[in-house]
Amino acid sequence: MGWDIQSDVPPQPISMATHTIIFISAEAKPKSVQVPTGTLLADAARQAGVEIGQPCGGQGRCGRCAVQVTQGNVRLRSTLRLSNEALEQGYALACQTIIEGDTTVLVPEQEKIERRLTTDRVAAEVRPPVGYDYPHSQSVRRIHLSLDPPSMDDQTDDWSRLQTALRAQVGFETSEISLPLLQSLPATLRAGEWRVTAILAIHPERPTASSARIITLQPGHIDEYSPLWGIAIDIGTTTVSLWLVDLISGKVHAQVAEYNGQIARGEDVISRIMFSSKANGAEEMRTRVLETINGLLDTACKRVQIDAGEIIKATVVGNSTMIHLLLGIPAENIRLTPFITTINQPPLLPAREVGLAIAPDACVDCLPGVASYVGADITAGVLASGQNRLEEVALFLDVGTNGEIVLGSRDWLVTCACSAGPAFEGAGVRNGMRATTGAIEDVWINSETYEPVFRVIGGGKPKGICGSGLIALLAEMFVAGILDKAGSVKRDLPTRRIREGNHGGEYVIAWADETETGEDIVLSRVDVDNLMRAKAAIYAGFSVLAEQVGFILEDVHKVLIGGSFGKYINVEKAVQIGLLPDIPWERFDFLGNTAVRGAYQALLDWRERERVKQIASQMTYIELSADNTFYEAFMSAMFLPHTDLGRFPSVSAVLNKST
Amino acid sequence: MPVEIPKDKWPGSIRTVTLGATAADGGTRGLTVTVGGQTALPYMHFEAQSPNPPVVAIEIKSERPEDWSSILTEAWGEALDDPARWAARAQDAGAQVLVLALSANDTPESAVKAVKAVLGASGLPLIVLGPGQPEKDNDLLVPVAEATKGERLALGLCEDKNYRTLVAAAMANGHLVIARAPMDVNLSKQLNILITDMGLPADRILMDPTTGALGYGIEYGYSVMERLRLAALQGDSMTQLPMIVTVGFETWKAKEAKVGEGVPEAWGDWRERGLHWESLTAAALLEAGADIIVLRHPESVRRIKIAIDELMVTA
Amino acid sequence: MALSGIQIYKLLPQTNCKECGFPTCLAFAMKLAAKQVELSSCPYVSEDSQQQLAESAAPPIRLVALKAGGYEVKAGNETVLFRHDKTFYNKPGLFIQVNAADGDIAKKVAAADAYSVTYVGLEFTVDGFAILADGDLGAAVKAVRSASKRPLILIGDPAALEPGLQACQGETPLLHAADPSNWETMADLAKKYQAALVVKADTLDELADLTQKIQARGVEDMVLDPVPAASPLSQSLAAYVQLRRMALKANFRPLGYPIISFPAATGDPVRESLFAAQAIAKYGGFVVLSEFKPELLYALLVLRENIYTDPQKPIQVQPGVYEINNPTPESPVLVTTNFSITYFAVANEIEGSGLPAWLVVADAEGMSVLTAWAAGKFDAERIAKSIKEFDVASKVSRKRVVLPGHVAVLSGELEEELPDWEIKVGPREAVDIPAFYKQVLT
Repeated sequence: MGWDIQSDVPPQPISMATHTIIFISAEAKPKSVQVPTGTLLADAARQAGVEIGQPCGGQGRCGRCAVQVTQGNVRLRSTLRLSNEALEQGYALACQTIIEGDTTVLVPEQEKIERRLTTDRVAAEVRPPVGYDYPHSQSVRRIHLSLDPPSMDDQTDDWSRLQTALRAQVGFETSEISLPLLQSLPATLRAGEWRVTAILAIHPERPTASSARIITLQPGHIDEYSPLWGIAIDIGTTTVSLWLVDLISGKVHAQVAEYNGQIARGEDVISRIMFSSKANGAEEMRTRVLETINGLLDTACKRVQIDAGEIIKATVVGNSTMIHLLLGIPAENIRLTPFITTINQPPLLPAREVGLAIAPDACVDCLPGVASYVGADITAGVLASGQNRLEEVALFLDVGTNGEIVLGSRDWLVTCACSAGPAFEGAGVRNGMRATTGAIEDVWINSETYEPVFRVIGGGKPKGICGSGLIALLAEMFVAGILDKAGSVKRDLPTRRIREGNHGGEYVIAWADETETGEDIVLSRVDVDNLMRAKAAIYAGFSVLAEQVGFILEDVHKVLIGGSFGKYINVEKAVQIGLLPDIPWERFDFLGNTAVRGAYQALLDWRERERVKQIASQMTYIELSADNTFYEAFMSAMFLPHTDLGRFPSVSAVLNKST
Repeated sequence: MPVEIPKDKWPGSIRTVTLGATAADGGTRGLTVTVGGQTALPYMHFEAQSPNPPVVAIEIKSERPEDWSSILTEAWGEALDDPARWAARAQDAGAQVLVLALSANDTPESAVKAVKAVLGASGLPLIVLGPGQPEKDNDLLVPVAEATKGERLALGLCEDKNYRTLVAAAMANGHLVIARAPMDVNLSKQLNILITDMGLPADRILMDPTTGALGYGIEYGYSVMERLRLAALQGDSMTQLPMIVTVGFETWKAKEAKVGEGVPEAWGDWRERGLHWESLTAAALLEAGADIIVLRHPESVRRIKIAIDELMVTA
Repeated sequence: MALSGIQIYKLLPQTNCKECGFPTCLAFAMKLAAKQVELSSCPYVSEDSQQQLAESAAPPIRLVALKAGGYEVKAGNETVLFRHDKTFYNKPGLFIQVNAADGDIAKKVAAADAYSVTYVGLEFTVDGFAILADGDLGAAVKAVRSASKRPLILIGDPAALEPGLQACQGETPLLHAADPSNWETMADLAKKYQAALVVKADTLDELADLTQKIQARGVEDMVLDPVPAASPLSQSLAAYVQLRRMALKANFRPLGYPIISFPAATGDPVRESLFAAQAIAKYGGFVVLSEFKPELLYALLVLRENIYTDPQKPIQVQPGVYEINNPTPESPVLVTTNFSITYFAVANEIEGSGLPAWLVVADAEGMSVLTAWAAGKFDAERIAKSIKEFDVASKVSRKRVVLPGHVAVLSGELEEELPDWEIKVGPREAVDIPAFYKQVLT
C-alpha cells in the first residue's frame, strides 16, 4: 500500500558504519559523500554540495525536496506529499529520509525561483523629501583637510596630525578611527600630499561637541558636489528591497529587489527560526541573507557604475526575526512564549561586523522595532505613511505572511500582529502562485451561468492564481452564489465547474486544455478555508485593536495599506470577502513598500531617524493571544463577509440585489 | 427607603416556535408545544411576562442502547426494546416532547417504521435525530421527513458542513430543523444565517448551542447561551431562536453519572449523583435560557419540572 | 463607572517612562482598565487624576471575608452581571449546617471537615460550618472547634449568639441575622466581636434601610438575606439579580453586599439541590447546606468551579483520551491539541465517519496545532508525555499513533520518544481524516 515503506523493518542495531551517497543530476557531474547511518538525506546533500530546495524548512510539508532513490537503503519518516506512484518509483523527500546504507540518488532539476523585480519597473520615481538639506539633515559629513607636512622640526605622528587638523579646521575636539583605517593612514596621507578627504559620522545636532568617527579617508580633495552614497534596505521575509541613494542630493539612483535567499530554508518566519536553531543553521541563514543583499548591491552599483566600497551608510529595516538572523543573534525566543526578542533597538554597527560588502567602517543603522512580531519594517512603515503625524485616527496595515496592524494618530499608537498565513501570497493554496507571469490576477464570474472570465499576468495561458486573483475569486464565487456564507460550495448548482474534489466541493476556474500546466486550475474547500482564515485573522486583528482602545473601526479617517500586497488588490472585492472594513473607498490609500521608504527617509534625515525611535517607544503592542478577544473576533470574521452583516452595508446591498 | 429597581427594556424578542401539528393543521398530534416568545432574560417576571415556559423532552432510541448507564436502563426496563412502548412510558413520566434518536444500524425503512410507531404510541410532538454521521443522517431523515409530511417534527442535526439536504427536506414537508453548533456564539449565529438563506423561515428553527455537562464544559455552553439570549434581546434577529439543550446525552456520558465502580468514595452515592449530574446541569442551563430540555432519566424529569414550575411563579 | 483604557490614558502623564513596568502609558492604562495592576505603580500620576481613578476603582460590592484558623472564605468584589463579560471572582462559600441541640455535632463536623475531592487536579473541601443556636451555642461552637478550624456562620437571636461568639473570639464569623426588630442589638454584637452580619428583610426597600442604619452604627461587613425562607426559585432569582444590578448598574452602595442562601428552607432535598445550583450560578455569596451529602456536595463544587472559571482563557477541552465510535484495541490512536475548535473539528470528522478511534488530546495550553507547535507547546516530548500519562498503550493492541500533518516534522523525534510505537503522519486538515483513515489505517 506504499504508506510507510520501511515501517515493518525492525529497528536496526546502532552502528557507526558510514555509507557512500552518490548524487546524480542532469546539470552537473555526480557528487558523492560519506555519511554515518542515520544521516538525513538533505544533510548529506548539503555536505556533498548538492542544492536541494527546502521551502518549508525541512518539515516535510512542501514536497519540493523530492528526489529519486535509485539504489540503496533508506528509511522514510513521512511520505506526505508523495503519491503511491511516486513512492513506487523510489521518490522520497530529502528532508524526511534517513540513510541506512550506500545510496544512489537522482536529483531532479531544481525549480528556479522566478524573478520579478517589481520595484524596478513599477515603482514611481522617488523624489527626495521637500526641504532635504544635506548639511543639516545628515549624520555623515564629507570634509576636506589640508595637513601641514611633517618635517624634522615637526615629528608629530600621522594620527595626531590628522586629529589636529580635524580640531583646527573643522572644530572636532575628539575623533575616533578604526584599526584598518590606521593601517592605511600613512599611505593615504602621503598619496594626497597631505591633502585628504574624510567622511565622518557625526552627531548632527551638535557636531563639534561630540566625537567624530572616521568612516573613510581618501587622498586629495574630492569634488564637494560629487555623490555620497548610502543605501536603504528592507529585509522582507519574502523579498529584500534595496535603494541606492545619493546622500548629497537625496536622490534615489537605483531600486532593486530580489527574493530573500533564506526562502530555500523556510517560507515563514517560524520555519526560519526553527532552521536557525539547528546546528550551523544561524550561520547559514545569515550567509544567505547577506548573499542576497550583497548581490543586490552588486546589481545596483553596476547600474550606477560605482564601487560598493563607496557606500558609507546603510539603514536597515525588517521584521524582528529578519534583523536577528541578519545579525546572527539567536532568534529562538521570538517564537516561544512570552515571545521575547534579544534586541529591539540595535546599536550602530560598522559594516565590517555586519558583513555588508560596503565601506568596512560604514555605519549600519538597524532601525528600532517594538516587539517580536512588530519590527522596524512597521515603525519605518508608520513613518513613511505619515500616520504618526495625523491628527485623526488612521489604520495602517502591512499584509504579508504576517499581518501587522497599527491603529492611532500622533497622540497614541497601538499595534498588533496576526498570523494570516501565506494564502494571499499564493502559498498554501493548491493552484496558488506568486504574482508573476501566468498568474490569474483578476476574476469575474457570471452569476447565472457560473462561467468565469479572468485576466492573466503577461496575457498567456494561466499557470495558477496569485493573491489578488484569489481575493477576486473568493469574492466572485460568493457574490455569484457558488459559495454559501460559510464558504462551502453549493453542490446542487447546475454547472459542471462545481464538483466533488478530494477535500469536498471545489470550483474549476480553468480547464486543463486552457492552462499552461495542462491541468485544471481549481479552488478547493481547503483553499477556501485557508483564504477565509487569512482574511478573518486580519479583520479580527484590526477590529480587536479598535475594540481594545474603545475606538469604532468605521470612524477611521484613513486606511493606509503598505506592503507589496497593497499594490494589486481590488478594494471592492477585498471588502466583499470581509478582508477590509466597509468604509468609503476614498479612505483607502495604497502606499506600496512603506518599509523601505521609511528606511530611506531615516537614511537621509537624522530627525526622521529620531522619529522612528519615538514611534517605536510610543507604540503600545497588544498581544492578541493573551485572551479570548481575538479568537471571538476571528470566529466572527470566519464568514462571508462577516457574521455581523450589519458591518458590511455595501456588501449586504449587493447580496440583496443578486437574490 | 424605596429602592428603584433597574429594569431592562429590550428591543428584541425571541421568536415563538411551535412543534407538532394537530389534525386541524394537517398532522396527527394530540397537542402542540410552543416555546419562545420571551422579551426579557429568563424568569425576570418583574420586567416582562414569560409567555411560554420551558418544556421537558425525553430522549428515546430506535433500538436498545448498548452503552447506557445501568441507572438509566433500570429506570426504563423492557421499554428500551420497543420505541413505541418507550414513548408511552416517557409520556407517562412527564415528557412534553419526545426525542427519537435513530441508530447507525437503521435503514431508511426501519427508521420510518420506528418514527411511525412512536407517532402512533404517543400524541406528543416529536423530534427525530439522525445517528450523527452526515451521510447516514441524510439517508435516514429525508425518507422520515417525507413519510411524516405535515407533522411539524423537528429534524436534526443541521451542522455547518451538512445542513442543505436536511433543510430542503424540512422545507418540502412542513417540518422544523435543529441547528447545532459547537459551543460558539458566532458559529450558532452563522448556521442560523445559512439555514434561513436557503429560505426556511426562522420560526422553524430550534438552535442547539451544544452545552457540555457539569464538569465537562458546561461553563462554555452556559455562557454561550447567555450571550445568544442577550444578543437576541438586543435585536440580533439571527439569534432570536428558542434553544434546545441535550442534557441527558451530555451528562450520562460523564463518568460521574455513568459509572458506579472504581470511582472515588468522595463522589458519594452513585444513583443520586447521576441524578444530580443530570438535574443540576439542566437547572443551570434553565437559568441561561434553555427552552427545551432533553433528559434521559424519569426522576430528573420530575425534578426539572419542579424547577420550571417554581421559576414560572410570578410574584 | 469603569473607565476605558483610552480614558485612563488621558489621566496619566503620557511620558512612556516605563517605570511602572509597562512599555507605554497606554499599555499601563489598559492594564488598569482591566484591573490587573494598581495605580500606585505609576510614580508620576497627579493627585487630581489619582482621585478620579480611585472613584472608578472602588468595588461596587463589598468584599466580606470570614476567617478562622488560617482559613478565609471571601465573597463580594464582583464586577460583572455575566461571567462572559469578564469573570466571577470569589466563589460562593459552601457551608454545612449543624444544630446546637444535636448530640453528635463533633462527629458530623469531623466527617464533613475531612471531606476532600479532586477535580481536574484541583482539591475541593467544604468551606465552613453554620451552627443553629437551638441549644447552647457556646458548647456547640466548642464541639465544632474540636473537629474543624474552618470559618463559622452562627444562626440565632442575639441572646443565643453571644455565648457562641465568646467561644470563637479572634475569628471573623458571620452572624445571622439582623432584622427590623433586632438590628440594633445585632449590630452591637457584631461590632463588639468583630463579626460580619447578615441583614435580613423581606423587601429590598427594608433591606437598604437596615444596611444604612447598621453601617451608621459602625458595622461595615454585611451580607444580605433578601428573600423569605421557602420563596419559589423565581423570587430568589429576581431578588439576587436585582441586588447585583443595583450594585453594578446603579452603583447603589446600601445593597452592595454579598448574598447568603439557605436552599434547604423547605426541607425538600430536591429543592435544596436546585436552589443551591441557582445560587451558585446567579450571584450567591455564601450557601448553607442542610447536611453533609458527598454526592450533592461534589456536584455543587464542580458547578461552582465551572461557573467561576475565567472565561477569558482560551477555550480548552480537558486533555485525555477520548473514545470515538466505541474504539477497540485494534483502533488507531490520533493526536491533537486541547484547543476546543481544533478538538471539535477533529472529533466531529471522526465521529461523522463512523470509524472508531482513540483521540488523544494533548495539553497544548489551549492552542491550535500550528500555533502550539510554533510556540513550542506541541512537540514530540509533550505528545509522548500525553500518550504515556494517559496510559494509551494499555488500551490498544496495535501501537500506532497518527500525528496531524501540520507537524509532520515531529515524526522523527516522536519515533525516538516512543520507540515501540508506529508513527504515522496524518492529513493537515481535519476534513481529510475520514479519507486518510480509510486509505491508510484500515
